[in-house]
Amino acid sequence: MKEYTTVIGLEVHVQLNTISKAFCADPNKFGQEPNTNISAVSLALPGTLPVLNEEQVSSSVKLAHALGSNINKENRFDRKNYSYPDLPKGYQITQDKLPICVGGKMIYTSDGQEKTVRIHHIHMEEDAGKSSHDLHDKYSMVDINRAGTPLLEIVTEPDLRTAQEVHDFISALQQLVRYLNISDGNMEEGSLRCDVNVSVMPSDSNIYGERNEIKNVNSKKFAKTAVEYESKRQIKILESGGTIDMNTLLFDPIKGTTAPMRSKEEANDYRYFPDPDLPPVVLSDAFINECIAEVTMLPWTAKSILKEQYALSTYDTDLISREKSTVDFFRQFDLPTKSYSTLASFISNQALPFIADHQLDISDLNVSNISEFITLIDSGKVSRSGALKALSAQVLIAKESNLNIEKLAQENNLIQSDDQEFLDAIIAEILSQNEGKVKAYQSGKKGLLGFFMGQVMGRSKGKANPEVLNKKLVKALG
Amino acid sequence: MMTPKKSLQEIQLDLQSGDYSMSELVDSYLQYAKKHESLNIYIELYEEEVKKQANRIDQQIKNGAQLGALYGCVISIKDIISYKDHGLTAASKILDGYISPYHATAVERLLAEDAIIIGRTNCDEFGMGSANENSIYGPTKNGADEHRVPGGSSGASAVSVQMNTCLIALGSDTGGSVRQPASFCGVYGLKPSYGRISRYGLIAYASSFDQIGILGHGPDDIARVLEVSAGKDPMDATSASRPIDRYSADKVISNPKIAYFSSLIDHEKLEENIKNNFLQILEQLRSSGASIVEKGFEFADYLVPTYYVLTTAEASTNLSRYDGVRYGHRSESSSTLEDMYVNSRTEGFGKEVKRRIMLGTYVLSEGYFDAYFTKAQQVRRLITEEINKVLEECDFIILPTSTSLPWRIGEMKEDPVAVYISDMYTVLANLTGLPCISIPSGNNTDGLPFGIQIMSKKYSEHDLLALAKSLKSATT
Repeated sequence: MKEYTTVIGLEVHVQLNTISKAFCADPNKFGQEPNTNISAVSLALPGTLPVLNEEQVSSSVKLAHALGSNINKENRFDRKNYSYPDLPKGYQITQDKLPICVGGKMIYTSDGQEKTVRIHHIHMEEDAGKSSHDLHDKYSMVDINRAGTPLLEIVTEPDLRTAQEVHDFISALQQLVRYLNISDGNMEEGSLRCDVNVSVMPSDSNIYGERNEIKNVNSKKFAKTAVEYESKRQIKILESGGTIDMNTLLFDPIKGTTAPMRSKEEANDYRYFPDPDLPPVVLSDAFINECIAEVTMLPWTAKSILKEQYALSTYDTDLISREKSTVDFFRQFDLPTKSYSTLASFISNQALPFIADHQLDISDLNVSNISEFITLIDSGKVSRSGALKALSAQVLIAKESNLNIEKLAQENNLIQSDDQEFLDAIIAEILSQNEGKVKAYQSGKKGLLGFFMGQVMGRSKGKANPEVLNKKLVKALG
Repeated sequence: MMTPKKSLQEIQLDLQSGDYSMSELVDSYLQYAKKHESLNIYIELYEEEVKKQANRIDQQIKNGAQLGALYGCVISIKDIISYKDHGLTAASKILDGYISPYHATAVERLLAEDAIIIGRTNCDEFGMGSANENSIYGPTKNGADEHRVPGGSSGASAVSVQMNTCLIALGSDTGGSVRQPASFCGVYGLKPSYGRISRYGLIAYASSFDQIGILGHGPDDIARVLEVSAGKDPMDATSASRPIDRYSADKVISNPKIAYFSSLIDHEKLEENIKNNFLQILEQLRSSGASIVEKGFEFADYLVPTYYVLTTAEASTNLSRYDGVRYGHRSESSSTLEDMYVNSRTEGFGKEVKRRIMLGTYVLSEGYFDAYFTKAQQVRRLITEEINKVLEECDFIILPTSTSLPWRIGEMKEDPVAVYISDMYTVLANLTGLPCISIPSGNNTDGLPFGIQIMSKKYSEHDLLALAKSLKSATT
């Protein structure tokens, strides 16, 4: 079998978290009772007109800024005509000819490597409502709440090559829209959906194969499965001497397979034309600058700050930079030691799981308590593991009140001891109880040092200072 | 029955001096409406409601309360403009049973100034027609001759004023739908500049052409209604934010420079007696101090085709929302979604509306878009530039309103293109977005009325109405 390369391009639809809908004042909210966020305009009652929500434009400008896209200052809207019961006007307002953003690129990490996807363009449009065909045995049900939700469609160049890259690119995009606070990026709620274009070509070729478009894939996992299935399917056809026809496919999330949509549904002539209800919108430099000023941090700048200014490990950097709120929280700390790795692992391993369990916001946590706690740990006066185990929950739960951390540590008997006699007595006791292992150590099984460390530490209830203990044990074991 | 009242100023004076009450006035309008029921003017008269409203106004007058600027003004509205909690069908079966849950912005503004809406008038379906014959409710007849059409699409609006069933009619004008029936029925009809009155609540035919228009017995009343209904509306992105003028205030237009296009006046389609009357009016204007400038205009034969390519394109998608899903007519005899669409729309739309949807769908189709739509847009721009150039040099442009006199009902049924061509003088103002008023200018020997149009610079309605006033006082 020949080697094949899979070529993938994405059309990602991002639902914006604006207060109101794209072209009317109805609330833009997920999870409401069906058909409640619908005024005359959302329902497309006779005589109603669309009026552009400026917040949709500012969200687009922020994204364009982040991706280095060119911003079209003159924006026009077009109608895309098709009929479906959840599309009240019988057309969707979109930007066909003049999208708000052109070009740009997104750098993301996959398989430990930095990769680049070029952006073809980004345009503004509105979402349709939602049809359900399984809620009633006789009727299809239509919920218009979602109709008119502002969307940005991000169209990439075909720069992705593997299913994993697709997965990781979508993750990076989710992270970006959250940093920009323009979308919750939540795929389960449909805030981020994509159409995936897949083609395959022999690896020694540079001519793209015929592509197939997989519609409406609504999770990263599905995107990955869909690409894997589709590229295998296409390779199989080519290997058996067949050719690939251009097709629009639907992904079946249960079977993990793709199948062509009925030909009727794709034989659409959308009859795009400029929407006469919406005059061109010209963006001033002042407006653009105002939008950009609201972009205070991007995922990649956050990462480099954590790595370079705070000297964090890649692992901690990734965990802390996942959400902008965590980075903002982290950056409030000014530790006297100027050493942040203990704090970073405390946030990664204790604080983040804690707020997830208690449904808190990270900004609810008390910075000064945590700051004192970390300073105490780093001073070496308490056992690190003992203190984390005994006090983390107390430190995290005390949102309002300032704790006396040092006193708490004393009360919990956590202050470490370098009392020579106390340690020597325990070491002697442990060695005499484990004569066989002492011999084994002396005959070369140096790995047993850890065993003795553990034993002494346990007997001291964690109060032994590990550095001091280590030295003493090596000496005592000879 | 009371003698018909033809001026709001007079009515307000009479009401204040107690010559008659608002209730008596409203009764008189209702009596005229009933007397002329056979003309098929009203789809619905809001009899009980208007009596109550009139009573309230009478109480307020008695108590010396502050009243809105339009008290005493009784208005009919075309069945294409939303009036909250009232039926609205655009004279189409597709909107059968539809009740609008909201006010058009214009209606809201009129009501806030104590105007009374007496009923909704018949019209051509979705404003598509020039004779008020394309209506699910049947044709409306011209009060000057019941066998003849009143023009369209706001035909019944014009007749409602002509037959004194109200003082003012609110219509809509996409290609002459206010001005041409005004001409056919011997009343005044204003199409303001595009965007001057909000379109919110006006059922869309062709969005970049549509404008609510006002019909009345004279420019004074029209000015007063315009200054209440015009102005920026946050619900309509195409409404103009430019401040409105005090249109009712006196303004002197001295020695205006008025242009006319010889190519349009010499056009073979223009009826002889309308042409002669037009030339007489020119003379009259000249002798009253106006300078008349003859201008060439090379787009005469492109006006109607450009208009129909663009309006049908817009209409074809504006009417997509009438699908039987959320409101209006839904065909019962459908087993699939596609059947439901096809049957509901086939049953719901009339012949002319279907014709225009098909035309518009065609010109927007892949492969034809550039040849038709893009080209027509370019021609529209050229026409607009040409007209604006003339208006840089001259204050006004004068034109006949229609090429023809009101025709006999049914006479033109088999020749839609001839009807389209009769609109060549009116579509110009919609193609260019300029304000334009039709003024009654004469009658033929059978007493059939006709008018002339005056057009002026964008947003210069005040000048336009002032010139119309001076012409009126010169002729009466």
